[in-house]
Amino acid sequence: MRHAGGPFRIFVALFAAVIPLSIGALIAFLFYNAWPAIHFNGWRFLTESSWNLGNQYGDAVTVRGAEVMPGASFGILFLIVGTLASSLIALLLAVPIGLGAAVFLAEAVPARLRQPASMLVELLASVPSVVFGLWGYVVLIPFASKHVYPVLAKVLGFIPFFAPPTRDGYGLLTASIVLALMVVPLITANMREAIMTTPRALREAGLATGATRFEVMRHIVLPRLRLPLVGVSTLALGRALGETMAVLMVSGNAINILPHRIYSSISTMAAFMVSQLDSALQDPSGMAVNSITEIGLILLLISMLVNGVARLLVSRISTL
Amino acid sequence: MSTSTPAIAMPQERRTDAALYRRRRLVNLLGWTLFGLFFALLAFALLDIVGTVLERGWPALSLELFTQSTNGVSGGLLNAITGTFALTAGSLILAAPVGVFAGIYVSEYRSSPFARLIRYLSDVMVGVPSIVFGLFGYITMVTWLGWQFSMLAGCITLALMIIPYILRTTELALHGVAPELREAAYALGAGHATVVMKVILRSCFSRVLTGILLAMAISMGETAPLIYTVNWSNYVWDGHMTREPVGYLTYVIWSFINEPFDSAHALAYAAALLITVFVLVITMFARLSLSKLSSNQAH
Amino acid sequence: MTMRVAKRRISKRGVVIAAAAMIAIAGPAFAATTNLVETGSSLLYPLFNLWVPAYTQSHPDVRINTASTGSGTGIAQSIEGIAQFGASDAYLSDMQMKKNPGMLNIPVAISSQMINYNVPGLNDKNLKLDGPVIAGMYDGQVRYWDDAQIKALNPGLPLPHKEIVPIHRADGSGDTFMFSQFLSFSDKAWQTKTGYGTSVSWPSVPSAIGATGNPGMVTAMKNSPYSIAYVGVSFKSETDKAGFGEALLKNRAGNFVKLDEKTVPAAAAAMVPKTPKDERISMIFAPGANSYPIINYEYVIVKNKQASPETAKVMRDFLTWAVSEKGGNSMSYLKQVNFLPLPASARALTMKQIAEIQ
Repeated sequence: MRHAGGPFRIFVALFAAVIPLSIGALIAFLFYNAWPAIHFNGWRFLTESSWNLGNQYGDAVTVRGAEVMPGASFGILFLIVGTLASSLIALLLAVPIGLGAAVFLAEAVPARLRQPASMLVELLASVPSVVFGLWGYVVLIPFASKHVYPVLAKVLGFIPFFAPPTRDGYGLLTASIVLALMVVPLITANMREAIMTTPRALREAGLATGATRFEVMRHIVLPRLRLPLVGVSTLALGRALGETMAVLMVSGNAINILPHRIYSSISTMAAFMVSQLDSALQDPSGMAVNSITEIGLILLLISMLVNGVARLLVSRISTL
Repeated sequence: MSTSTPAIAMPQERRTDAALYRRRRLVNLLGWTLFGLFFALLAFALLDIVGTVLERGWPALSLELFTQSTNGVSGGLLNAITGTFALTAGSLILAAPVGVFAGIYVSEYRSSPFARLIRYLSDVMVGVPSIVFGLFGYITMVTWLGWQFSMLAGCITLALMIIPYILRTTELALHGVAPELREAAYALGAGHATVVMKVILRSCFSRVLTGILLAMAISMGETAPLIYTVNWSNYVWDGHMTREPVGYLTYVIWSFINEPFDSAHALAYAAALLITVFVLVITMFARLSLSKLSSNQAH
Repeated sequence: MTMRVAKRRISKRGVVIAAAAMIAIAGPAFAATTNLVETGSSLLYPLFNLWVPAYTQSHPDVRINTASTGSGTGIAQSIEGIAQFGASDAYLSDMQMKKNPGMLNIPVAISSQMINYNVPGLNDKNLKLDGPVIAGMYDGQVRYWDDAQIKALNPGLPLPHKEIVPIHRADGSGDTFMFSQFLSFSDKAWQTKTGYGTSVSWPSVPSAIGATGNPGMVTAMKNSPYSIAYVGVSFKSETDKAGFGEALLKNRAGNFVKLDEKTVPAAAAAMVPKTPKDERISMIFAPGANSYPIINYEYVIVKNKQASPETAKVMRDFLTWAVSEKGGNSMSYLKQVNFLPLPASARALTMKQIAEIQ
């Protein structure tokens, strides 16, 4: 190769190095600031639902070698459950809907209209998170809590998880619906692309056997796209896990309570960080802020893991 | 492909009874209807979001919105509009060179292990939640470095978020450049730096630019990374890079909707309208020009 | 006028941007104007937003930026010197004072809190409730509206056999501080099990709802029949509009009182003589036959040593105006958020504290 090295390569490589340096700095700083909390909380952090700043007006006590307020404990099991539950339910909704819309866009929409139609779905991804939250707050919650959830409770009420009371609309299901809408464009865009790049010969072979276009899609095209679908869904999962503002505005922000029903209030790690950093700042021992940082560190590691896996599954994904 | 055999073999079987045929037609019809409904649902969601924001934000629009700063929970949004643009511009000034040059590196030296690592890490970084960047900005820049709530802390935090996006679009743009162009430039005796910067980058410059536009839209719509790095200000930013909080539109939405005054709600809806229009128009423009560019390239 | 000021700022900005693109610069750019930052309590925020425009109109050389971030941020930022005024619904703890001896807790107004409920059929009657019963509702001991304890307080009322939905603030909040302090002071069991703070570890009650902000409380109550909630008095117009019931609360003297323009000053009058020099005092569950049990001082947390004597002077001037009867403590401002002015004796203490800002 002619361009093996030289100053230009070093120049651009320096800029490229910003990426690993930032990731390194993210991990290092969060870890450094979370360390007192990691030490104090131990595994209880992940296995208990006990977020309690302790008596803010008492005198600090020394527990497990750390100075904390009396009664302080930090367990975020309810956040982990809330985060995973909302993201997984969001995926359960988003994957079939996203895939179905992708098939429709690729196969049933005339080529002339395909671009504007796809744009309608893909623009959903660009709507700012806080606007999704606002919409959830003023439109979705009143509508769903009055007209959708009561019906759902009636029809599926025999399953305890869906049984009434359906409550005020803030909660797991609403958060999941909003999350699903936010990640669905990722699935639709990538799957539409994948469907359209399926070799024409394969489809023609299918059609030649007398199968309809729908059958070709169902039995020939889609089975080939299983791996990309898993990859894109994993990517969507990563997105949903870290969504903050929209979830904050519609989830009900429960503390220390595990969801018993699909209508229960929840909170997620990301939303909790925004809603609780303020209270944490009041803790004179500083342990509350360290524990919030520990949530951030865990969220960072989870999202890196999920995205890392997604990237290994599929090498070229449009991230929108 | 073994899974597909039975269904496709069906019509070839002898007992081609009408019932089976009807059932297949029905399944097809149901399938297409369902998929169409899925699509309609998503399209409806977008239209409803935009419609809600327009319907509630439109009555709140006025001239004062653009000429006055927020006065308590009433007044205008001049401070927030200028703040949003300044934050976006600042984050792009920082992120664009890094993203573009890093994208050049990843594309030009794509087979080197370091480039592969960068590409992988960049894809991972796209998935890091924005609030994690916000917390990082808070503990490093706002408190540790003592910059306090400030423009600089916000711009750097946003820049970190969007660099991977710019890297990726730049890389894809460079990939699309015809190899002949490169050969021709080398044949003329140009050095590597000249070839990349003057020939290749120039030929795909508009695609790189649309990538930057998309990153700009992302940066504009963010809230979570800014709450604890930039905070909020009622005044138009007066140029201090540190120690001065800045107002921005997304803050108005999530904070003012919680105030007990109608004037505050009106501002929240107006801000939602403005930011949604800004972001969607930029995104739409970038996407349309991107697809136009690709179809030009194909011809 | 606004236009002219904006224009001047923009032209300056152009110059500064050019320089600032490369380096971060700190320090005031214009010697003429003093920039102050207020951040913190969302309860005090609406009042600050009424004060600041009025004050800066007559003092164009002062800019005060207001932000609603929560009391915790207000306290932290004023300790760190990021904000000159940290608005807080709660005073600093002894430990915080020990760590930061230079901090002043300056009351600027008196706020109070309602206990609202949404029980169809009873919203126009004022239910009588006391601390232990409310504590029972929030810790799951009192599950239904026709519980014997509620019946005992409200003989003859048709209480329905419906599950109580206790609504609490999910975000950190001064309202939670006041409410949980009321429960702690009136119910021993609550004090030992849950205690008080701007965010407490709520006992898990299956029907409980967490809501964000006072508007979230109002919305959640609207959507949930048979709910109970605590709402800051600034939102009284909203709770009245929604037609919620407002409970009569049992005070320390054993009387049931309604939040009004007599009971809140009565409680303040009972507590003001006990107010220490640093004014760090809880006014919850005050003695006195007519005292409403949930009131508090709204504080501005300020550092006694400021960056420059000029800044300190501007701050003293503003705070003096804010607590004066003709200035910020006049009813024309306070009425809009349903706060009450500082009583005269508290104002005297407050003025002494303001003088300490140097």
